[in-house]
Amino acid sequence: MINRRKFLVKSATALAITFVVPSIISNKAHAKKPLAEKVSDKQSWGIHIDTSKCIDGCTACVDACNEENGLTGFGRPETDSQWIRKVTVKSNTTDKITTMPLMCQHCENPPCCDVCPTGASFKRIDGIVMVNQHTCIGCRYCMMACPFKARSFVHETLTQQNTNAPRGKGCVESCNLCVNRIDHGSETTACEDACNNLGHSAITFGDLNDKNSKISLAMNSNNPRRLRNDLNLDQKVFYSNI
Amino acid sequence: MAGILGVEAHDGNPHVSPGKSKADSQEACVEPTDLMRKEHYMFLLHQRDETVIDGVRTKQHSLANCVDCHVSYDNQGKAIPINAEGQFCQECHVKTATNITCFSCHAAEPRYPKHKNITSSSVKEINELANNITYDK
Ligand code: SF4
Ligand code: SF4
Repeated sequence: MINRRKFLVKSATALAITFVVPSIISNKAHAKKPLAEKVSDKQSWGIHIDTSKCIDGCTACVDACNEENGLTGFGRPETDSQWIRKVTVKSNTTDKITTMPLMCQHCENPPCCDVCPTGASFKRIDGIVMVNQHTCIGCRYCMMACPFKARSFVHETLTQQNTNAPRGKGCVESCNLCVNRIDHGSETTACEDACNNLGHSAITFGDLNDKNSKISLAMNSNNPRRLRNDLNLDQKVFYSNI
Repeated sequence: MAGILGVEAHDGNPHVSPGKSKADSQEACVEPTDLMRKEHYMFLLHQRDETVIDGVRTKQHSLANCVDCHVSYDNQGKAIPINAEGQFCQECHVKTATNITCFSCHAAEPRYPKHKNITSSSVKEINELANNITYDK
């Protein structure tokens, strides 16, 4: 536990400042993509989490993710799928305790993709890292490679999946930034909606390339940083006020 | 029931449970029926890569849309999984001794609520639901 905490906060002290908001090209506010159009690098999706607004004991984002993606458990917490989990970390230097949601960090340089033998683990051109379950062979190399333990393996035969979130035994899965919603024009993820609905508003999803997007505004008025910046993974999930 | 809209669907080859799916009230599938019989998996194979890798979400060759349209309902109006014994996908695949692996991951039931009978108004409702999937509030 100490190790994990240390691990997560290691670079908190080295707070400074290698993170760069992906350069601003986009001229327009984000317009809905026609369903037939391929995604492009005009968008770069990300999440900002203001940990000062995240409430200890609240699991609304986790519950919403489970609901959105049909992540029903088997009462086996060791192996049941988790796309988001709540973690609590303590700073070694200040003893400050922070509680926050941790999901796939959507690395720009994702180790999960580096190690995948089939190319199933891939980064979409708009920055979303996901598993192509059609070609995943369930080797779980990516789970070992991910520094954030973001991925889960489905151990059991599933039925009653949600139409918008196909998933099944023998494949690895993780947060895909609600890719189906986003491709259908949603401006929010399920976890963000749930957090907003409770009035906490700790989670902000959006387009990092658009300097007027809600995530860019949230980032500007905070002090965002990446977890384990020392690994140079250039994640698209940012945390403030840790 | 198949004749409810005065149309004999699918070249006179009705579904295994005629009149119990939206497809039974349609004049044609998304491609010519002969082609669909032989090549439906090719359309699905092509679409799956476009969807997963490139985020293309068109409905024409989407598996979710196949299910929405071809699934049958029992007398209580509850959808029967399309890969259950005797159902649209399963029936042929059993005859041809081909496993369907789609539904180990994909939903075998449709997105929209129950439908007791397939009538022109329920078809309209199904179409609207399938076409207007949106997550915007
Ligand atoms: S957080 Fe883990 S699963 Fe997500 S992109 Fe990075 S290495 Fe891959
Ligand atoms: S489990 Fe699947 S996605 Fe992960 S490395 Fe193996 S083949 Fe790739």
